[in-house]
Amino acid sequence: MKNTELENRNSRKKLKRIILINMIIVPFLPFVLAIGVSFYNFTTELEKKTTNSLKRIIVDHREMIESFLEERKADLEFIVDTYDFNQIKSPGVMNEILRNLKNRSNAFVDLGVFDARGVHVVYSGQYKLKGKTYAGELWFKKVMTTGCYISDVFLGYRNEPHFVVAVRQESIEGAWVLRATIDTLLFDRLVSKVRMGQTGEAYILNKKGSVQTLKRSDGIRILENDPDFIKFSIPETGIQTFIQSDKLKNEYLYAATWLKEREWLLIVRQGKKDAYRSLYSALNLSLFIMVAGGGVIAALAFYMAERVLKNIDRLGMEKESLGHQLIRATQLAEIGEMSTGFAHEINNPLQIIKSEQTLIEMYLDEISADISIHRLKEMEEIRDSLDQIKLQVGRCSDITRAILKFGRKSETKPQLLSPGKIIPEIMELVNKKAQVNGIEIVSEISKEAPDFMGDPSQFQQVLLNLFNNAIDAVFEKHGSQGGVMTIAAFKGGGNRLEIRISDNGVGIKKEDIDKVFSPFFTTKPVGKGTGLGLSVCYGIIEGFGGTMVVESKEGNGTTFLIELPVCDQNLKEVNNEKDENYAG
Amino acid sequence: MKKMKIMLVDDEERYLSTTAKLIEKKGYKTLIALSGKEALGKLKTENVHVVILDVKMPGMDGNETLKAIKEQYPLVEVIMLTGHATVDSAVEGLKSGASDYLMKPVDVEDIIEKSLEAFEKRQRLEEKIRVARTKKYMRSPREILKKDDE
Repeated sequence: MKNTELENRNSRKKLKRIILINMIIVPFLPFVLAIGVSFYNFTTELEKKTTNSLKRIIVDHREMIESFLEERKADLEFIVDTYDFNQIKSPGVMNEILRNLKNRSNAFVDLGVFDARGVHVVYSGQYKLKGKTYAGELWFKKVMTTGCYISDVFLGYRNEPHFVVAVRQESIEGAWVLRATIDTLLFDRLVSKVRMGQTGEAYILNKKGSVQTLKRSDGIRILENDPDFIKFSIPETGIQTFIQSDKLKNEYLYAATWLKEREWLLIVRQGKKDAYRSLYSALNLSLFIMVAGGGVIAALAFYMAERVLKNIDRLGMEKESLGHQLIRATQLAEIGEMSTGFAHEINNPLQIIKSEQTLIEMYLDEISADISIHRLKEMEEIRDSLDQIKLQVGRCSDITRAILKFGRKSETKPQLLSPGKIIPEIMELVNKKAQVNGIEIVSEISKEAPDFMGDPSQFQQVLLNLFNNAIDAVFEKHGSQGGVMTIAAFKGGGNRLEIRISDNGVGIKKEDIDKVFSPFFTTKPVGKGTGLGLSVCYGIIEGFGGTMVVESKEGNGTTFLIELPVCDQNLKEVNNEKDENYAG
Repeated sequence: MKKMKIMLVDDEERYLSTTAKLIEKKGYKTLIALSGKEALGKLKTENVHVVILDVKMPGMDGNETLKAIKEQYPLVEVIMLTGHATVDSAVEGLKSGASDYLMKPVDVEDIIEKSLEAFEKRQRLEEKIRVARTKKYMRSPREILKKDDE
């Protein structure tokens, strides 16, 4: 028994696990797939968008810087076209030009003119550079060959980082060069003037990786080398975007493009975390949805599994109770069949015993007249014995009769019965007995109590049996006063007629309540009851397609509840027709 | 008055002999038969008034025997003795022409009482038949006159 319970519990656990796993995994897989796919699409799109916006920024920035440089170059070309070498050398002219230039743009710091040998002929500005020779300087060589040159940042004679724009002009006296120094601070502001998130910045490197404008985030000053440069994958043309981490392992999203005929590299970069901020919040949101959704799925699965199991348990219990009922019905039928045969066979010897006993009695009567007076006592003993045989044969025949009633599968004649009519008729039969025992009968038969199909004499047998039991029970508790017996009939749920017979008698012991419908079970003294009454009732009600249950509390009384299927209208008509035919 | 003659039909021999003795003691002539066939044979030669017939017998059962008796000897009254304490088999017997039924185990007094009732019924029936037969042979004075006119 314990083993089966343990097995049941184990199989229940196993079932629960299977249900849970299925209920979690089945919805979770498509859920994760959906989240994953949308997350992938969303992030790819976002990455593309971020990169594109970085590209757009670098293009705009490059154009802005290039046009600035072009303008400065154009300024100088305009001057060399306007003035010839002699004019420009004249005192005051240079200062005048610088002033005019500064009026147009703050970009120029100073201005100088060089002859073909590289000697600084005229200078206007804050440094003392006049007379110095620049023939060996890179910028001078370049401008002499190319005609126009914008230098990298260098220290020069002034020993300060700066860069210059120079143009060469041919004249009768030979070539000469006009050179302007660009305000490094202004240029730096111009270049760094890019705003992207919190970490976005732009700076320029020359092709050797030397910083041309401040790289603020790392605190790298102009002319210092960018430590990250060597790792750069430098684009041949157009714009290159890439992700690279610095020595502190911070990742950056880079965009790089060549400026100034592949001499300067414009870098725009943004911290990866900053650039992909919305990406990360999307990731977080996805994770949150996944965790929360997973939680909801798991909770639902637990709830559903519990409910499913409860239903399974309930069905199992119902099945078990149905099984019990079936076994009980089969047992009853078997017992019925067996005991009928048994009772029938017993009847014949009983008949013989009875006849023999009568014969003995008769002979005894005949010889009693002749018997000696000393034998009278023995005669009495014999007579007493014979009476006892007669009594016991009577008892046996009572039992066999009851068994035959119980087991008989005789033809019944079901007909439409109206509770309002048949119950009071049956009550009439017990009224007298109840009155004698001082029992008050309360009748609560509802007018709506529906009709049912049944054999009237069988139905009478059931009610009489229950009434007699009730009377006995009440009498046992209250004696000859204070007993109450109630009969109620009404329309119950599920299209069924309910008949309730209650008493306030002694009730049934808890341990006996399961056995009351079993054949041969009786609590009455030996010889008073056969223990078949309630079995027969049970069988009859079952035959009507109904059920019969008992509720009882020891010392408080007993209630028998009979539920019968209500006869529907069609059957009623058929039945009426039958009745008419029969009458005809 | 004629003395009633009873025949007991049952497959239990001891029951038959004892009951026969008892009934004889009460002063009635009693025959016994162990089967329906035997009963029918005895009816040929004996003028039996009442037959006490057991329903459950091997071979020809009570109901069959009853039908045969009623067919061949309609005047013989039959009382069914049923082992089944049911109304059904008795009802079947009554329908087939049995005059009454008794339930096993039965008292001899009951057998005699019911038999006497049946016997009286038969007496009345025989009386009616006798009267009817007599009427048939007796002609009324008017009939005689009518005949004479012709």
